[in-house]
Amino acid sequence: MSSELERRLEAMLAEAPEPEPGVGEEALERALSALRPGAAPRRGLGTAVVVFATAVVLLVIAAGSLAAAGALHVSFGAKAKHRPATTTQLSLPNGANGIAAIVDGRLSVVIKGGFRLQGLRVTAAALSPHALYVAAGIGRSLVAVKPDGGTAWSHPAGGRVVAISWAPDGFRIAYVVRSGHRLVLHVIWGNGKHDTVIDQSVRAVRPSWRSDSLAFAYVGGGGHAVVYDLAHESRNVLRTAAPVTRLAFAPAGKMLAVARPDAVVLGGKTVAKGQVEALGWFHGRPAAALITPRQAVVRSFGRTGRPVDDFRVPGRVVGLTGGLVVTRTQDRILAGWREKSVSVLLTVKRTTSLEDLAIG
Amino acid sequence: MREPSDRDLVRRARRGDRDAAAALFRRYWRDAWRAAYAITGRRALADDVAADGFERAFAALGRFDERRPFGPWLHRIVANRALDVLRAERRLSDEELPDLPDAAPVPEHGDRSLLAAVAELSLERRVVVVLRYGVGMTPKQIAGALDLPVGTVNSRLARALEQLRESLEVEHVE
Repeated sequence: MSSELERRLEAMLAEAPEPEPGVGEEALERALSALRPGAAPRRGLGTAVVVFATAVVLLVIAAGSLAAAGALHVSFGAKAKHRPATTTQLSLPNGANGIAAIVDGRLSVVIKGGFRLQGLRVTAAALSPHALYVAAGIGRSLVAVKPDGGTAWSHPAGGRVVAISWAPDGFRIAYVVRSGHRLVLHVIWGNGKHDTVIDQSVRAVRPSWRSDSLAFAYVGGGGHAVVYDLAHESRNVLRTAAPVTRLAFAPAGKMLAVARPDAVVLGGKTVAKGQVEALGWFHGRPAAALITPRQAVVRSFGRTGRPVDDFRVPGRVVGLTGGLVVTRTQDRILAGWREKSVSVLLTVKRTTSLEDLAIG
Repeated sequence: MREPSDRDLVRRARRGDRDAAAALFRRYWRDAWRAAYAITGRRALADDVAADGFERAFAALGRFDERRPFGPWLHRIVANRALDVLRAERRLSDEELPDLPDAAPVPEHGDRSLLAAVAELSLERRVVVVLRYGVGMTPKQIAGALDLPVGTVNSRLARALEQLRESLEVEHVE
């Protein structure tokens, strides 16, 4: 029989507030993007036993045949620790459509389906949505490279391109060009036409597009974050302390994460202090690679900027991109999320310089 | 027309049917959020925890045993996520975090004295109280959800009720 206190508890918890409607829609979007169609349902124990036994019998038969033929080497003892395979060529991480990296000044691109481009000398690069094209700064031009390695278009940029960002809808590209002593921000259509100068004085930070592709953020000459609205051709300078060194719009919604060299800023508030190595978004959350006096961690934040999770990674974080943490150890570039599915993107020398990396 | 059962929706969602997954979401979002709120005591945190819970549940739908009810499984994920977040927050709380909004759970309305007393419970006790009286799970279901022996759940519930009674009595005397 329930007591008076239990009845009060039930009544109190039944009166708990309701979630706000917008939050549900955002959460639904996130949840649906996590669906993995075609996932096999869990079978009953009986089925599992039968399947396992059958597999064991088949394996024994197959192993016997292979061993008899001398093609199978069987060893016993302590199991060797699993180490990801090494690769001297850039590898595509699981689930990604494409990866582009600039290593020692040369572009390496791998795209799902087999397209591989390696060795082109470039100054900056960015993948288009779905990794269908690569935009690269080559010489004093901005060039879109097709999946077959051919040039889709080339646009004279008037200087060395130092940062490129392709809009999520694919229709526009924002890029920064070094012109004499200045850095100039342009926007060009995805077909290489209609180039427009947006700002004559900016910093060499990769612009970040808002998810609706109608606005993007960049760092102005004074070091402040600026959001440029394409529809209204207006600028909104954010009141964060300069200098801003990294920007990342949320992949859904309009939230912008900003980093200074020593802090992460969300919604105008400093939410973490420490040396910021990288900034990005994971599963709808802003995240940053931070070096605090006590530790080096990747930390994700909630909607209010409160830290909700952190974990350590091997090596130095060189990017938070495509839903993955990319780190560099002495001899490898690794990508993964926590300890799960960590893969080697590239085997490198100690002297190798990784200038840029994008996963799409 | 009869509404599809959870089992039907789970089967269809597994095959990639987004409408079925969305229906499942709408059926349980409110309860999951309220459970998250009751555990964390904060709206913003409940938003995060409930959204994370669904994201993890949908990502793991392939491993879900469809002969079992969906609701308790989802609540288990939400409750565990709430515990993880609160523990991580506790771990991080000694670091310098300037300009942060409200730090402590603040009862918004309802039976304020009881809400405040529940907020004073340890995480472990608060979770079993919320799952028992807020979500309506039996001690056996809670044990399954939190991977605890039923005896532990019962003793946590008993101690939580005892602590709540004491808190309310003290308040009454004062």
